[in-house]
Amino acid sequence: MPQTDQVTLECESLTKTYYSTDPPTQVLNGIDLAVKRGEFLVVMGASGSGKSSLLYSISGMDRPTGGNVTLEGRELTSMKDPEVSRVRLTSMGFIFQQAYFLSNLNIQDNILLPALKATPKDKAGVVARVDALMERFGIEHVKRHGITQVSGGQLQRASICRALAGEPTILFADEPTGALNSSMTAEVMDALSDVHSGGTTLVMVTHDPACAARADRIVYLKDGLLVDSRELGAWTKEDAKRREDEVFAWLSEKGF
Amino acid sequence: MKPRDSISTRYILNDLIKNKGVNLALLVILVLSAFLMATGSMVMERLVGSVNQLFDEAKPPHFLQMHKGEYDQAALDRFAAEHPEIDAWVVEEMLGFDSAALAWERPSTGENGDLADSLIDNLFVTQNPDFDFLIDQDGEIPRPSAGEAYVPVAYEQRFELAIGDELRVKTAEGFQELTIAGFVRDSQMASSLSSATRFLVSEADFEALSEAGGGAPEIIVEYRLTDASLVSDFQRAYESDEALPKNGQAVTYQMIRVINAFSDGLVAMALMFVSLLLIAISLLNARFVIRGTLEDEVREIGAMKAIGLPNKSISGLYLSKYRAMTFLACVAGGLLAIVATNLLTRTVQVNYAEAPLGLSTFLVPVLALALVYVFVVGICRRVFKKIRKIQVVNALVHGSTLDDRQTARRAKRQAKRVRRTSLAAFRGTNVNRRLAWLDLRAESAQWILIPVVFFLASVLMTLPMNLLSTFESPKFVTYLGAQESDVRVDLQFSEDVDTVREDVLAAMRQDERLTAVRTYANVLYEAEGEDGWEIFRVEVGDYSDGSVAFTEGGRPESGQIAVSVLNADKYELSPGDDFTIRLDGASTTLTVSGVYQDVTSGGYTAKMEGEVTAGAAAYVFYADSAEGEDPAAIAADYGDEFPSAASIPMREYVTQTLSYVTDAFRSAAVLSFVFGIGVAALITSLFLKLRLTSDRQKMGMLSAVGFSTSEIIAQVRGKTLFAVAVGTVLGPVFAATGGESVVGSFIALAGLGIADLAFIPNPLLVYLVYPLALISAGYLTALALTARLRGADKSAWLRG
Repeated sequence: MPQTDQVTLECESLTKTYYSTDPPTQVLNGIDLAVKRGEFLVVMGASGSGKSSLLYSISGMDRPTGGNVTLEGRELTSMKDPEVSRVRLTSMGFIFQQAYFLSNLNIQDNILLPALKATPKDKAGVVARVDALMERFGIEHVKRHGITQVSGGQLQRASICRALAGEPTILFADEPTGALNSSMTAEVMDALSDVHSGGTTLVMVTHDPACAARADRIVYLKDGLLVDSRELGAWTKEDAKRREDEVFAWLSEKGF
Repeated sequence: MKPRDSISTRYILNDLIKNKGVNLALLVILVLSAFLMATGSMVMERLVGSVNQLFDEAKPPHFLQMHKGEYDQAALDRFAAEHPEIDAWVVEEMLGFDSAALAWERPSTGENGDLADSLIDNLFVTQNPDFDFLIDQDGEIPRPSAGEAYVPVAYEQRFELAIGDELRVKTAEGFQELTIAGFVRDSQMASSLSSATRFLVSEADFEALSEAGGGAPEIIVEYRLTDASLVSDFQRAYESDEALPKNGQAVTYQMIRVINAFSDGLVAMALMFVSLLLIAISLLNARFVIRGTLEDEVREIGAMKAIGLPNKSISGLYLSKYRAMTFLACVAGGLLAIVATNLLTRTVQVNYAEAPLGLSTFLVPVLALALVYVFVVGICRRVFKKIRKIQVVNALVHGSTLDDRQTARRAKRQAKRVRRTSLAAFRGTNVNRRLAWLDLRAESAQWILIPVVFFLASVLMTLPMNLLSTFESPKFVTYLGAQESDVRVDLQFSEDVDTVREDVLAAMRQDERLTAVRTYANVLYEAEGEDGWEIFRVEVGDYSDGSVAFTEGGRPESGQIAVSVLNADKYELSPGDDFTIRLDGASTTLTVSGVYQDVTSGGYTAKMEGEVTAGAAAYVFYADSAEGEDPAAIAADYGDEFPSAASIPMREYVTQTLSYVTDAFRSAAVLSFVFGIGVAALITSLFLKLRLTSDRQKMGMLSAVGFSTSEIIAQVRGKTLFAVAVGTVLGPVFAATGGESVVGSFIALAGLGIADLAFIPNPLLVYLVYPLALISAGYLTALALTARLRGADKSAWLRG
């Protein structure tokens, strides 16, 4: 499903300062950003530019120092922790560079966990949905495995399944391919493109221009400020090489 | 400084600064362990030293026999002539006065008071010529001049008496006044468990007191032998000679020593027991911290291995911190122990003697501390041996302390476990509870620390409390061979004992203030021992009310006899056996019905059903007071009415006699309560601190997938509460079962006649208040530590 003009997530004058350092470090210096429903947005920038801080601030994981964030018209920044957590549970999904899983649960249980928590009474429905997701991403055969018994690519695909199990409106990915080799990277990016094509909004932080080339739009951060953005339009497999070159050239101009 | 030393020092300093909380907690527990161990050993050393010193100065008899009434001096002379092993002997004449007959006045201020509160016997004596001396506070043997008296040191403290005070003794002819010239220590009666105490007066005053009347004359026949090991044979010889005086208790040198050491040694034993538990806790704790350190710093260890540092150097580097901390703890604990020992041994030094400082004064605590050091460092060294197994690649790449084989084994275990658990098949709907439970199961190796520590803390708190409530319980007198009662009247050693018995019994039965009057007679039978017939004390009376607790078998009925634990051992008797005793040459064979514990008469007694109204050596009456009546007043009345009877309010008497021991137990109970709660809270905070650090990524992940901070906190609190509760509940269960046997066997070892110490716990305290206090301490610690999680940036958790 292509992106629409409707804004699903928006932040205004977003700032974030870490007071644990001496002197305090301001990592976000007033960011205005709107993500459209169904959009695949990539956030890029050099190390320390504030990409991850932006991702965690707009997803309610961290409290921004200033500014506000709204998701589907609800202001996250004014909500209390249990409420934001509920929003993360029901409307958001997360994928990280490292696949964080509970080692005392098998793959299927790890994927089931947030969905079961969201709708504990519809266990059968949740299990059926998760089974379908695992089949879709090709990890159905390892569902009873422990997390140390599967490959990195399989784990990351399990992460995607977990992120999707609650049928979120928006998916956040923080360097999801950062710890993977090239074939696994392709595997995971194919899966994400697949998710996006299904209509899920995607916000992804990455260092990899090839991964960034899959996005509808790339925004570029420098010293906590949004300095540039580039519309790429819908991705197709055939057009992949040309887009990668285009992104690479654009990033080179910025000294990336 | 050698380069390696300087690296170690820098490492220690950096680590101490970096992990302040963890290191401080560990140090506090180590200091406490060292402190208690050193204090226990020092108190023990001082006590043994003081007792030895007093024994050296006072030369207590090796065997003594108490007696009231007429005796055959010629028989004693003959016996002495026949026994060359006697080094010296004496018949000490004594005059017993009731405490109410003793008053004091301070001429300088006009202050005055009496000693009526004391329930123990006051015996006036003159100084012995050759041995069994009463010793003054300078360790000298005082010889009072006419008009002077030396008073027991225990009274000096209790009634705050001073030299120069007037002591007034109420005799039949009026008051006799003596001036207190000093205070004396008594090797025979120094123990806080002793039931009598001796006053020293001049020969002239002793004569005057005897003539004035009002005092009960008694004698002690005392022997000092050439070799103390001959006492048992000597006692048998004495008891089998019918002409010798022996209607009172016989006491041996061993018994004097044991009783002396028992009462005060209990404090030292309690301290060492608390210390051992604390050492166990600090070792568990150290092990946990070390394992955590190895996991945290596995990459650094890998790097050190990669650049070729030998394993020994790496573990030496880490071990140096624990060596330094344990050393510091031993020094600090030792110094604190000096102060504590001085406080704790003050009474011991006054009652016994000031033991001279010798080599052992320093060696004993140093040795105890050295043991603590070697033990703690040894265990730490063992844990650090794991460094040898760490593989460079696994450490550097995977950050794992495990080698390939261990990794594979762990993965296999994990896989097996996760295959069995399934959230999908889980019936409940509370995902948080389920997760917490699965966590506890999977990480049981780490979480076990908490139940174990709470278990130990619970035992630590419960055992001294149980001992205290047992010794304070009215039922405890049954362990001492007496019955539970309000008033006890003893009638012994007097010529007209049978007539007085009738009078006392009639008076008691008519007395409306008394209920359930029971009477027992002590009859001196004979039983056949290894060397022929010897005295065998039997108490005859009615036991049908179940007032005696039997450790084996049951109460005696007609034709049966119950024997005390020590007699059962001595004559190798158990229920069902036949046993022959004789009285005035006539033998009777009885069946042993049961075995009970008793500490009276040295623990060698027996009980028979029946009624003896004449010819007994002594009689005992027990009665309960009617509601609202004061047993002390009743006892005092009977004391006045029947001067030859000893009448005591039983509960008050027991409380007073045991007060030193119960005071010690009370201090131990309070101390272990504070330490128990403190240590439990300290370890919980340390554990949670480390646990929360290592669980940061997991918490970050849970937060990302929609678990609120409150839920994550609730999981940690729930796990802590569960672990704390398991340990806390097991504690009192163990204390009531295994702990009771351990403490009981210690007390049985003392050879006093208590073979089976059954605790009489205070159920409200031990089963409700203590567990609640411990659980609250653990939970409140968890509340405080987890509260810090609120408001944190969850992305920081994910970064680890």
